[in-house]
Amino acid sequence: MPSITINISLYGDIAKHAGGHHVAQTEIMLDGDPTIGDLQDKLGISAEEKGYVFKNAILCDVPGFDAAREESLCEGDHVGIFSIQHMWPYQYRDGVRMSDALARALNEKGAMHNIYKATEE
Amino acid sequence: MTRKIVRINMSNQKATYEDVPKKWAKWGGRGMTSAIVFEEIPPTCHPLGPNNKVVIAPGWVTGTPAAPSSGRTSFGGKSPLTGTIKESNAGGLSGQKIAKLGLAAIILEGTPAKDQWYYLVITKDGVEFKDASDLMGKGMYEIDEILWKDYPKTAVIGIGQAGEMKLSNAGISVNDPENKPGRYAGRGGLGAVLGARGIKAIVIDDAGGPGVDIANKELFEKGRKNLTEAIQEHALTKKDGGLNAYGTDVLMNIVNEAGGLPTRNFSAGQFEGAAKISGEAIAEVVEKRDGKGMTGHGCHPGCIIQCSNIYPDESGEALVSCLEYETAWALGANCGIDNLDIIARMTRECNDLGLDTIEAGNSIAIAMEGGLLEFGDAEGALKLFNEIRNKTPMGRILGQGVEATAKAFGVHRVPTVKGQSMPAYEPRAIKGIGVTYATSTMGADHTSGYTIAPEIAGVSGKLDPLTDEGKADLSLAFQASTAFIDSSGYCLFIAFPILDIQTGFEGMVDTVAGVMGIDLTGDDAIALGKEVLKMERLFNERAGFTKEDDRLPEFMRYEKLPPHDVVWSMTDEELDKVFAWVHED
Ligand code: SF4
Repeated sequence: MPSITINISLYGDIAKHAGGHHVAQTEIMLDGDPTIGDLQDKLGISAEEKGYVFKNAILCDVPGFDAAREESLCEGDHVGIFSIQHMWPYQYRDGVRMSDALARALNEKGAMHNIYKATEE
Repeated sequence: MTRKIVRINMSNQKATYEDVPKKWAKWGGRGMTSAIVFEEIPPTCHPLGPNNKVVIAPGWVTGTPAAPSSGRTSFGGKSPLTGTIKESNAGGLSGQKIAKLGLAAIILEGTPAKDQWYYLVITKDGVEFKDASDLMGKGMYEIDEILWKDYPKTAVIGIGQAGEMKLSNAGISVNDPENKPGRYAGRGGLGAVLGARGIKAIVIDDAGGPGVDIANKELFEKGRKNLTEAIQEHALTKKDGGLNAYGTDVLMNIVNEAGGLPTRNFSAGQFEGAAKISGEAIAEVVEKRDGKGMTGHGCHPGCIIQCSNIYPDESGEALVSCLEYETAWALGANCGIDNLDIIARMTRECNDLGLDTIEAGNSIAIAMEGGLLEFGDAEGALKLFNEIRNKTPMGRILGQGVEATAKAFGVHRVPTVKGQSMPAYEPRAIKGIGVTYATSTMGADHTSGYTIAPEIAGVSGKLDPLTDEGKADLSLAFQASTAFIDSSGYCLFIAFPILDIQTGFEGMVDTVAGVMGIDLTGDDAIALGKEVLKMERLFNERAGFTKEDDRLPEFMRYEKLPPHDVVWSMTDEELDKVFAWVHED
């Protein structure tokens, strides 16, 4: 099965999953037709640790949701994943481009709230 | 004890104390400064002329025992940068001390004889007018040190050389707990208005002051407890949460990943060096240099969020506080500079000279676009601050802000609204903020519509984030709730716990109601915020502003922003809805 190379940036505590302290920027090889879920699994990033997720500057997931797992990845894609404690006030993200899956999830579940008991939930 | 207003006339160096009149009794912070500016300053006056004033007001709960993160001081007047009304608020030591002296506002008016400069000392016994000759020409680091020798542990408000020169980008400095000039009422040039009053500095000594009356102690205490618990519980505001660990620069990588980080004078939405100048990078430098640097620093006593930082130099000594997101962006990404040490040095220059870092960085970016320097020339950018220090014509142009610099360099891509340059969020990529930039009463301002979720003011569930629809209503709700928080004296960052945790919101409202002795609900908060906005909007109309001024710059309509290749598409009709109610109510 051919593998593809994904460029990743991990920010905050989760940088530890790619050998970083506060930031890890590196490349990772994935087999087959991988998704962001596969990438998270390979890195060992749990749903509880994960905050905002971007693929090629498109917002694919937000804290408290799990909307990016099925997002497919191609050779050379960039994925940025933030730790749960990263903040992003609403007015600084109102109108950014987001994936269809996330838009659907927001329409179904309602707007996101910042998770404030991340470790307990 | 009733709150007083002290009116300080610089024409004859007299100070008079007045009871707060009934019409202003309900106001604090921004509500108070805007009410006084609205009533007392002729909207068409020249901002540097004798009829403008500087109004200083602590928030409703500022100075109360242990109301968390509530030490803001509002500064108001007519802005030389925008020509509009202006409120700019800062942390630091001043708010709590002014409030503890029993003062609801300080009004600075009149103009002394030519070339007469003063510093004022305000104590429980009154106001002293001191000759400031020995302070002239000095930067704020030295001013703060000199004044603490004679007045230790006081609050020092002051202006650097930029304010002395009456430059439109001159801010007002407030010292922090380490007596460094790190906290700024930066935006809009109010430092020049203080300079026009002949005031170099104001020392506030609250020793023996009457303190702040709390009308309903039980209600206040209940609210304080709920609010404190909410702040301490929330992932973003608790100890080691996002703000405490990384400061506001936690946003650098997020906004960059989203393609909304203005880069090289708003020509792209992503900067390849973003991670090097982010909050995460600051945390790494602080840990590595293991000296006097720190994250989790509080800008005033009683802040329990502590988003501030002290950035260390190469030897671990304290270099500057605070390196904020907007600062690191303006002097960094927007100038194509990814050298955090040089950005920190430029920030120190701004804090010393008394310049707003956002406008300063944007002005350098414009000069780079105009060919003065290459984008990315960090050393060259740092040297430009000497031009201001040496009062050269070049320094005076840069110190006048983005629009003046653009004219001097023949640049047409000018990212301003009503004369004030945009902060660190690209409105072509982040549409919602564009509505607030366009319509804010203050010019392009990122703190005018601060919220964390769209659930306030009854707009919940009505929004499709992918369309332009509804953004006008939302922007108004955000602007009104922000005007309320700006009046309270609370730091805007309490927005996270109060909007995510119901008891936190009730706690905030209860503390305000407890201090003021009034009945207050969440709905009243929006109504009060709208009252503030209405005064500000009417002032601007009387100063000659129309809805045609509520527009983003032309180039954003035709120039596509990478990586999303989007232009600003919001219709003028949609923008005009934001303040349509002002003449209807
Ligand atoms: S949260 Fe930050 S800006 Fe707000 S009061 Fe505390 S240190 Fe100052």
